[in-house]
Amino acid sequence: MLSLIIFIPLLTAIALIFVGRDNTGLIKMAGVGAATSTLLVSLWLLFAFDVNNPGMQFVQTLHWVPALHINYLVGIDGISLWMVVLTAFLGVVSILMSLNQKKDLRNFIALMLALEAGTLGVFLALDTILFYVFWELMLVPTYFIIGLWGEGRRVYATMKFVIYTLVGSLLMLVAILTLTMVHYGATHEVTFDLRILTHTHIDTFTQIWMFLFFFVAFAIKVPVFPLHSWLPHAYVACPIPALILLTGAMSKTGAYGFLRFCLPLFPEAIESMALVIGFMAASGMVYGAWIALAQKDIKALVAYSSISHLGFIVLGIFAQNGEGIEGSVLQMFNHGIIASSLFLIVGFIEFRMGTRNLGELRGLSKSMPVLYGVFMLVMLAALGLPGLNGFVGEFLILMGVWTSHLLAGLASILVLMGGLSIVFASVYMLYMFQGSMQEKPTVENNSDISSSEFKLLLPACILIILIGLYPKPIIDRVSPSVESLLHLEKTVNLETGKDTDHH
Amino acid sequence: MFASSWFILLFPLAGFIFLSWYGNRISKILVGAIGCGVVGASFLTSLVALSNLLFLPAEERVGKVQVLYQWISSADFKLDLAILVDPLSVFMFLIVTGVGFVIHIYSIGYMHDDPEYARFFSYLNLFIFSMLVLVAAADFFFLIVGWALVGLASYLLIGFYKEKTSAVLAARKAFVMNVIGDVGMVIAAFVIFESFGTLNFIEVFAAAPGTFRVNDDQILLITLLLLVGAFAKSAQLPLHTWLPDAMEGPTPVSALIHAATMVTAGVYLVARCHVLYELAPFTMYLIATVGVLTAVFAGTMGMFQYDIKRVIAYSTMSQLGYMFLAMGIGVYSLGMFHLMTHAFFKALLFLAAGSVIHAMDGEQDIRKMGGLRRVMPLTHGTFLIGALALAGFPLTSGYFSKEAIILSSYHEDMGNFIFWVIALITAGMTAFYIFRVYFSTFIGETRSPDAHPHESPKTMVLPLIILAIFALGGGLLSPLVDGFLAPVFGREVHHFHDGLLETIALIAGIGGIATAVLVYQISKDRIELMKEAFAPLYDLVFHKYYIDEIYDFLIVNPTKAIGAFMEEKAEKQGIDFAVDEVGFQVKEVSRGISFWQTGRIRTYALNMVAGMVIILLFVVFL
Repeated sequence: MLSLIIFIPLLTAIALIFVGRDNTGLIKMAGVGAATSTLLVSLWLLFAFDVNNPGMQFVQTLHWVPALHINYLVGIDGISLWMVVLTAFLGVVSILMSLNQKKDLRNFIALMLALEAGTLGVFLALDTILFYVFWELMLVPTYFIIGLWGEGRRVYATMKFVIYTLVGSLLMLVAILTLTMVHYGATHEVTFDLRILTHTHIDTFTQIWMFLFFFVAFAIKVPVFPLHSWLPHAYVACPIPALILLTGAMSKTGAYGFLRFCLPLFPEAIESMALVIGFMAASGMVYGAWIALAQKDIKALVAYSSISHLGFIVLGIFAQNGEGIEGSVLQMFNHGIIASSLFLIVGFIEFRMGTRNLGELRGLSKSMPVLYGVFMLVMLAALGLPGLNGFVGEFLILMGVWTSHLLAGLASILVLMGGLSIVFASVYMLYMFQGSMQEKPTVENNSDISSSEFKLLLPACILIILIGLYPKPIIDRVSPSVESLLHLEKTVNLETGKDTDHH
Repeated sequence: MFASSWFILLFPLAGFIFLSWYGNRISKILVGAIGCGVVGASFLTSLVALSNLLFLPAEERVGKVQVLYQWISSADFKLDLAILVDPLSVFMFLIVTGVGFVIHIYSIGYMHDDPEYARFFSYLNLFIFSMLVLVAAADFFFLIVGWALVGLASYLLIGFYKEKTSAVLAARKAFVMNVIGDVGMVIAAFVIFESFGTLNFIEVFAAAPGTFRVNDDQILLITLLLLVGAFAKSAQLPLHTWLPDAMEGPTPVSALIHAATMVTAGVYLVARCHVLYELAPFTMYLIATVGVLTAVFAGTMGMFQYDIKRVIAYSTMSQLGYMFLAMGIGVYSLGMFHLMTHAFFKALLFLAAGSVIHAMDGEQDIRKMGGLRRVMPLTHGTFLIGALALAGFPLTSGYFSKEAIILSSYHEDMGNFIFWVIALITAGMTAFYIFRVYFSTFIGETRSPDAHPHESPKTMVLPLIILAIFALGGGLLSPLVDGFLAPVFGREVHHFHDGLLETIALIAGIGGIATAVLVYQISKDRIELMKEAFAPLYDLVFHKYYIDEIYDFLIVNPTKAIGAFMEEKAEKQGIDFAVDEVGFQVKEVSRGISFWQTGRIRTYALNMVAGMVIILLFVVFL
């Protein structure tokens, strides 16, 4: 089942190359069909998922490079479950949004599907090499999408993005290989199976540098302040459909990496570095929000608000307790929904008004009452209005930080920084919303969003309210996996040889 | 038995959803009927809850929690979606839905010509719903949810005229101020969770006396953080600046914000958490001090405004100060009682002012009014009742509630002479400024001959009459309210009798009215003369002590400047530049060493040989 999720979009992407460029009907059908069936399979997973099982489910193993014990190994747990559902959902939205693409539709759709497949692969892979492959697979389509279909300084933006990310991922590759070698040193077995590797004890010094290597890779992807400078360029240049996947799904791979690799593999490194990272994340929250205040371009404004919100997610993860991590996972899901909807709205506005500049946008609510309502709901969720989904995540995260042992030294400062960025969020969100939608209209406009555009936003709106009203179903599926993550035991011991329980 | 209380919340919610979805497609009459009907239904359901409570013996009336479902369970944090039905919440239900209902009826007439009639009623319903969530919540989390939803609803209504720039800015200001309060509450919730492991009111309040000693750091922190929220919502110093600007909304909204909902939330919060506050006498003292200071501060600002709504708005701030004073000195049911009478007479004053504004075609400046007594007899009569109640004229409802607080501020253990004096001065000022408005609006000759004022339609006058009856006779409810709320606060409030102090307070009130009469009697140029004499002071007060300007200077502008500065220096010329520079330097270095790559086989061969020689040397000698 899991392989279907990865290979439906991937194979469709490859198959599209053999379809004629002008056969738009078939291209659209293939794109929408692939994305929709991926979503359906992922929804089926949601129902078939065993809520009480903290371990990996639906595991599938195929030998890939037997000589090196590299396997095609995929599985899913409570943490990745929601990321897969989110990615599949955003996949459909982004494909539907890209149907309007005039320029070279076939390749665009193919690349979008490949991007979706790569992201899904990252969330599902349990073999470290496989993970790395999917990690790089995300990069290639993004490079071309921004470079060829982007706007403004697209080549500069895409080069920056790729080189930045590559630096990180190469460091990660080194760490991945070292990890297997450390395990080999202890057991004389070569394995890239993450489930086994997480039980390996690593000495503190090695932990720290390996952790840093992983950390840089993931932190760039998220991005964590101050490694974020690729993001504004890439996001502003990126076409909206791809941006939905970029911000909604791909940015989560970094946070997911922290959860899947850093937390279980390097507990001691985390213990010594959590404070620094927590502070970085919190600085990012405030910094991103503060810069967002100064933006005139609403796309850039949303981009910086993303940096701020992603800071929350990272902060929650490094709180290292149930509330913090579960809040982060929930917030990853929430941010995926909210940020992608915001970018959709930006796209709709730009499409009609021909500008994204707040100086030129005024009073759109008069001619666009439907968009006004939707925009308001999404904006309120984004600024964390209690009662909507965004607040649940932020509340859990900050509560986790407040009660965290690792962050105890700075907890109150970090929470205050969180509070500050929430206040700022309300300022810049209202500034964007009121600036574009309210006051007297300057330009005679035109039309409201069409019903098909409304349908793109509708599921997000429903989720925003539903999760706010009843977050329990999501948290219940995440909880067991997080609990087992927090109580992981290191059973394979190299240092002393006196292995704890089973060897 | 109390499961039906969910409907108190559900009716307005349904109204909000229905009207925002279908409001534009149905007739105005139906919109009005639904908008008012759901609130009316909610009021009736509240009456059912009240009668259910009254059937129980007094000690069993507290702690009735209705759980709908488990809302979340994350690690140690577990929370139900639940409401608490006890005398305090039912008391608030009745005020919110009762006064709210009357205001809804009034809006039918007031907003009749507005093209966005349906949107207005849907927002009003949302407002009532939010406030009900706030007072119904059985734990701190949903309290915060209600808290924020009230902020949202006020934002929507203050900014109702969304094409008007000043309304948009006022709405933003109210929202952001409220978010600041929300953040305080959220952090308070963390501290509470850390201390008690739960956010549930009943569990927290039961555990609090055993967990903390009086004035422990932790309990001080909790109470102070909660206070940030309370002060922001109830427009107490220094978080009050949004309230005067909130006048940008339509007048019924002002009535709703100032009387039935929103601003009373802070008072309610202190009443609800009185167990915690009693463990923190320091905070209690702070509440009383801020309350009494806000009262006098707002009183001075009210004395010199020309905008009829603004004067009433400052009087709200001032009366809220009294309520906080009552909370601070521990006479909770007196505070709640004043909250109730204030809801009656303040809603009345606002709606009557609305009726005036309606008649004057939107004119709000009292200098341009006058003589309306003759053309608007009903509005005049009801406004007068409201003004008398606000001034604390004997036997009106305001007399009973305010007098009791002033008296307690001297006689209660927590009270003192200074509180009493300031409260007294404020009472005098209140009487003065409201009668200044009364005289210049209704008495004398008209000052805008072009206007053709007329009495307002029935839907607007009827609410005025209902409210006037309560504003006049509400004082009779005093013993009932005391007895009803006693189980929540754990004691009956003590009513002091002190002939001397009561007389002095009476004189203060009536003196204020008399001064207004005198000022009104003296000729115009004398007023101008006085104004010149007190010019600097007058200027200071008229500009609200320049607090808006001070905030702009100290907080808003620096924040903007830092944002712009960071965008330019830190983001573009700092981080981004540094990253590009790294890339650039790498490129430079590669260009530097690229001379190795000459493309000539000869050089490569030479290099290879050189390399081999070095390796050989290593192998041989090491």
